[in-house]
Amino acid sequence: MMNSSTCLRSFSQLSLDRTAHASLTSRTLLAPQIACFSTSTARYNQKKGMAAAPKRGTRTLNVKKGRKGVNYEMGKRPAPGERKAQRKRIVLSNDNALPVSWLRDLERSNVLEPTIEGQMMGLPERVVDALRAEEAFKPTQGWGLFRRPATLMRKETVQLAGLVKEIEDANAQQQPRTIRRIISGDRMSGKSTLLLQGLAIAHLRDWFVINLPEANDITNAHTDYAPLPGSQPLQYTQDTYTANLLRQMLKANPSILESTPVVTDHKLPFPLPPKPTLKHIVEHGMANPETSWVCFTALWEELSQPGRPPILFAIDSLAHVMRNSEYMSAEFKPIHAFDLTLIRLFVDLLSGQKTLANGGIILGSLSQSNKPLSVVLDHFVTIAEALQSQPAIVPVWNPYLSRDQRVVDALRGLEDPKQKDFDILRLGGLSKPEARAVIEYYAESGMLRHTVNDSFVTEKWSLAGMGNMGELEKASVRLRL
Amino acid sequence: MPPRLNVLTLGRSIPYRPRPQAQWISRPSIGQMPPQVRAYADSKDPQSPAADRSQRIDAQPLPHVSEEAAQTAEITGSEGPDLNQGTPVEEVVKGDKAAEEKLPKVMQDALKSKVNSAPKGSRSYSTMVTPTDGNGEVDMGLINVQPSSATPAMPGLKFEMPTLPLPKDGHLKHRYDDVVEQVTNLIMRHGKKSAAQRDMAMILEQLRTSSTPKIDPSRPLLPGAPPPSHLPHNPVLYLTLAIDSVAPLFRIRSQRGAAGGGVALQMPVPLGRRQRRRIATQWILKAAANKRQTGSGRGSYAQRVASELIAVVEGKSSVWERRGAVHKLGVSVRANIVLPKRR
Repeated sequence: MMNSSTCLRSFSQLSLDRTAHASLTSRTLLAPQIACFSTSTARYNQKKGMAAAPKRGTRTLNVKKGRKGVNYEMGKRPAPGERKAQRKRIVLSNDNALPVSWLRDLERSNVLEPTIEGQMMGLPERVVDALRAEEAFKPTQGWGLFRRPATLMRKETVQLAGLVKEIEDANAQQQPRTIRRIISGDRMSGKSTLLLQGLAIAHLRDWFVINLPEANDITNAHTDYAPLPGSQPLQYTQDTYTANLLRQMLKANPSILESTPVVTDHKLPFPLPPKPTLKHIVEHGMANPETSWVCFTALWEELSQPGRPPILFAIDSLAHVMRNSEYMSAEFKPIHAFDLTLIRLFVDLLSGQKTLANGGIILGSLSQSNKPLSVVLDHFVTIAEALQSQPAIVPVWNPYLSRDQRVVDALRGLEDPKQKDFDILRLGGLSKPEARAVIEYYAESGMLRHTVNDSFVTEKWSLAGMGNMGELEKASVRLRL
Repeated sequence: MPPRLNVLTLGRSIPYRPRPQAQWISRPSIGQMPPQVRAYADSKDPQSPAADRSQRIDAQPLPHVSEEAAQTAEITGSEGPDLNQGTPVEEVVKGDKAAEEKLPKVMQDALKSKVNSAPKGSRSYSTMVTPTDGNGEVDMGLINVQPSSATPAMPGLKFEMPTLPLPKDGHLKHRYDDVVEQVTNLIMRHGKKSAAQRDMAMILEQLRTSSTPKIDPSRPLLPGAPPPSHLPHNPVLYLTLAIDSVAPLFRIRSQRGAAGGGVALQMPVPLGRRQRRRIATQWILKAAANKRQTGSGRGSYAQRVASELIAVVEGKSSVWERRGAVHKLGVSVRANIVLPKRR
């Protein structure tokens, strides 16, 4: 016996030929076709005069004097998704900004060199396209003020580049390593930007990059989910989300996917063309969300074959993962986020239960503004911070707090100082030379009209809470009073 | 005569030695003085804190930890703790959970703040002074701050004369651009100035990132305006130019009874600079509010205002017609002005 909604859903999907829409670009475009029931579209399509009969006793005539029926609808309503698209729009260039003459580009050759520390470096176009495809740029960041995207290679960025170098050296000696890092820091200290820089470095070094742009989008139950058959304990796949992720991966790593042949037989439920490449698997998963998880696992196995590039697997706002998701099980119990297949994979890698066959980095970034309460994560992050700064005083767990044992098991490695592969990357304030580099870039772009001298830099550096990057931008280029 | 009761000092010294401070913290020196006055109830010779007037030994309270240790040491003939130093309570109870719970609240708070030192406020950075450079110095970014000890050359002055002219943002209450401040206040609703400032910032951001405006020659801007390609680089100037260009020169005042027969007599009244700007801003904001809202979220209103400002500079805005209508009416009713008779 089929559930009625499932039944309707399968009927409605019969009419949609998925493979015909392979070129759809974004999830927002895809969403109206997937969601078969939506309140907003019904409201949008509502005809005038079709409203329900008025309640008894309510006045239906508009008899007030001098008021000829207030028209609340001014013109055409925006189409579904249009408002959100405008809100989430990413602008990466400002034609009014002046080009900075001395700005150098990041390249494959110079990205791992420690000499670039403290310099502003431009992102090459190929990397910008890849980062845009995987939604690494955020609308609140100030990319739209300047001629083209450029970032400051701060101390922590060079540390991250050092990790990339370590992985590559280990791979050269046939001893692949998996390094796990959680980026922590104050609000607006540049955590998401550091994540973006990590992604950019990996792209430049021809790694395979997977980015989950916002953990909240995975766990907030805005996309469909289905139990994974044969999983024990029960796990859930997110087909639409995974299909979209595959699309982003294809756009971000086109050359690797196109050039790598499929070498193992995955017993996929669909035929592959002769001499298949990874791109064929990904394209099928994109076009048919029902098979997206199967395609993802097949792709993962292929990437684990020897000789394949290292992987950077990153996620932003990690705290959303360390708790129950908004999904409900058939027994109407909340589903833990670890039971979602994508997150399960990430957390297994982060905790060290699984390792990457060809080495790589697992990178999670915390968020201080959109942050659900996760006492365990906070606790382990403070422990790891204490181990880095003052190992004598390590905080102890408050026994009166209830804790999520699964999260504890996943993050246990953080309190072990001997585990060098699992640690946090603490983002502090900029140093004054770094702040000066940024401010000079602002001034050269024409966005800051002031002479850059020592006292000006120091003033802004102090106003920014001793070099907090976001506050520095606020204090110097934003026009907020 | 010294005060009889010194409220700033404790009656007797508390045998509590704080942890040695790595940093120097400035404290008012007023609390450091020893008590000057002995209360009538105090005995003449200083007694140990735990002393009691009870005669029976078993009824006397136990001495302090250090004193007890010192007494025991005296009995056993060994070296006891130095009583002049006070008791390092924190060190004594360190690691002892049960004893830590019994500590006074001040010390418990100090312990807690050591464990969890994250700032609680909404500020995005910590205001704690932490050493940032490698050599452990505290750098607060204060440069060129020298306490001026030299007496000014001019007699009668306490400090040196300021260099003239004073900087534009030198006055605390007038440090921001006056147009920006006025428009911000006009945007403000329900007294929410911070929201208005945010909107204002977004408006200026829109002006800064918008393309170069195309000037309509039939709607001339103020004479002496910079070329349009310069405007996006200076959004405050852009805003000022848009507002000042459409600002009306006068308003029409209707005076009742002046014309007779119940008809109001209209006459133009010249406006000051601030008043002109206010009227122009209100027109622009009204026109922006009537625009269709395309997006959602915070930036939507700012986006509409900014596009209206651009439309003003490009001569497309309906505000120009409004200004033209006021000026036309002003020309026709200027005959109503009754000037004082010349002699």
